[in-house]
Amino acid sequence: MRYVLITILVLAIMVDSRVAGAADSSELQQIKSEIRRIKADEERERQRDEKLIGDLEQKVEKLETQNRQIQQSGEKLHNQTSQQLHQLQEQVSTGPSPGQFGRYFADYLGTHQFTLTGAVGGDFIYDRQTATNTFALDFEPIILYRVTDWLLFEGTIEANLPAGDSAEFQLPVATAQIFLNDYMEIQAGIFDQPFGDFYEDQSPFWVNRFVTTPLPYNVEALVPPTDVGVQLRGGAQWGDLGQDVDYTFWVSNGPSFASEGPVPVVGQAINGVNNIKLQTNGQGYGTRIRFYPFPLDSNFGRLDVGASTLNGKWLNGNWYNAWGLDFAYLRGPLQARGEWIQMYRQMPNSNSDNRQGWYFQVGYFLNQLPIPGMPEMVQNFIHRLEPLVRYSGVNQRAIVSDEISTVPEIGFSGSPSIWTPHSREVALGLDYWLAPSIVWQNEVDLELPEAGGTVFTFAGNPVPMVTPRGATPNDVAVLSQLAIGF
Amino acid sequence: MKRIVILLLLVFLGMIALCQTGRAEEISKPEQRRLFRDGAKLWPVYCAQCHNARPGSEFAPYQWDAIMMHMRTQANLPARNARAVLEYLKGSH
Repeated sequence: MRYVLITILVLAIMVDSRVAGAADSSELQQIKSEIRRIKADEERERQRDEKLIGDLEQKVEKLETQNRQIQQSGEKLHNQTSQQLHQLQEQVSTGPSPGQFGRYFADYLGTHQFTLTGAVGGDFIYDRQTATNTFALDFEPIILYRVTDWLLFEGTIEANLPAGDSAEFQLPVATAQIFLNDYMEIQAGIFDQPFGDFYEDQSPFWVNRFVTTPLPYNVEALVPPTDVGVQLRGGAQWGDLGQDVDYTFWVSNGPSFASEGPVPVVGQAINGVNNIKLQTNGQGYGTRIRFYPFPLDSNFGRLDVGASTLNGKWLNGNWYNAWGLDFAYLRGPLQARGEWIQMYRQMPNSNSDNRQGWYFQVGYFLNQLPIPGMPEMVQNFIHRLEPLVRYSGVNQRAIVSDEISTVPEIGFSGSPSIWTPHSREVALGLDYWLAPSIVWQNEVDLELPEAGGTVFTFAGNPVPMVTPRGATPNDVAVLSQLAIGF
Repeated sequence: MKRIVILLLLVFLGMIALCQTGRAEEISKPEQRRLFRDGAKLWPVYCAQCHNARPGSEFAPYQWDAIMMHMRTQANLPARNARAVLEYLKGSH
């Protein structure tokens, strides 16, 4: 714009000089002055523009610097985030194994841990001779309290429904188990009698393949089911894997006998436990040794043979001695076990009380039985079955009629035939396994008592009435039980 | 009589002291694998000697700790073999 004005002025001067022919010097000076002024203005404007441009360039540079810094910090944050994400992904991918998680969880739960196991059984019992048709129920929770890896407390509470309208509660097991080392353990309290195989290992409802117990461990037991005392026990591998040997030594209150009558007589029933000892001046001492001859890889199956003794004073100066031999054999679907028990009781008079008891049982699981051509549902049903047979018996010279109860309960059919001095029983069983620890058991007991023996009847008199026992009619009992081990 | 009681008490305390040694040792990985392998062999046989073998999934690992202590007592299992069965049951949980 300024250049245009100057050009116009110069042209005007030239035109004017051409038209006028002569220019006044003062006017020329004035024009020159005007030109200088315009140039000066132009210079100032230029300087101001340059200053503005400089300022703008500085601002742009500053903005660019800030932008670079933002970009750098953004990149840094991005890198940090990526690194942290990568670390988290690594932590997730290399997280604890199930075993580690289990240990962490166990640590979280603490070292004092309670575990509840046990069993429950519901029965239907029929006995022909006593015209019994009844349901029965028994509940046996086991509480395990693990304090450390060398100390465990165990308590079993037994709740059942006897005749009448009330429930009955018992404490068959309450022990402290102290593991001293790999070969020794102390168990103290009230415990299952370690004599033989049955009380300790076979008595839970779902473990016993039959509904009832074999006669030597039934109502005419030869050895008390539980005892109060201290055990020292342990086991060791003496050869290849599976070749074991184990021992149990115990000191206990020992046996006691029913005392309904005023005087001890032959054939009295043994008490379930001897809580507080009365009229005895000695302890009961027991030993059990068990031996496993075959290694696992031998294909001979799993066999154990055992021997047991229990000795003590059941009355001041009067001995009780019992010994037994037992075996158990397992090979694939076949399982068999048996036992022989001999008992001697020194009586206050000259007569002694001798008894023998035994049982032998065998079962065969049909889960490996090939059944070609059958529908899958039928095969599945048959493969869950386990047929069983057991023969058991007890010999004793006499029985005490006052102690006879024919009220059935879990594990006992109620048949009076098994109270006879020479009781015999054939039990046929058929188990249907719903799960490894849930079984529906069905049993038919054919009671085969022999005639003979003596019956003592006190009926409140100090001297018992002695009568020979006549022939006891054979009896049949049918039992069905749903047993759940939990 | 007093002497017998004192002697028994001393023996008992000595056993307790004895049992404190060598507890809670960490099992090395190779030994853990050996235990698991032996446990897999022993589990069906040891258990089935009395009852059906129950799978490891039925109880939590911490519950197996208590149950195997109980079973070691019931069946007088050799300690190392009981540990093998425990390792298998917990490992197959």
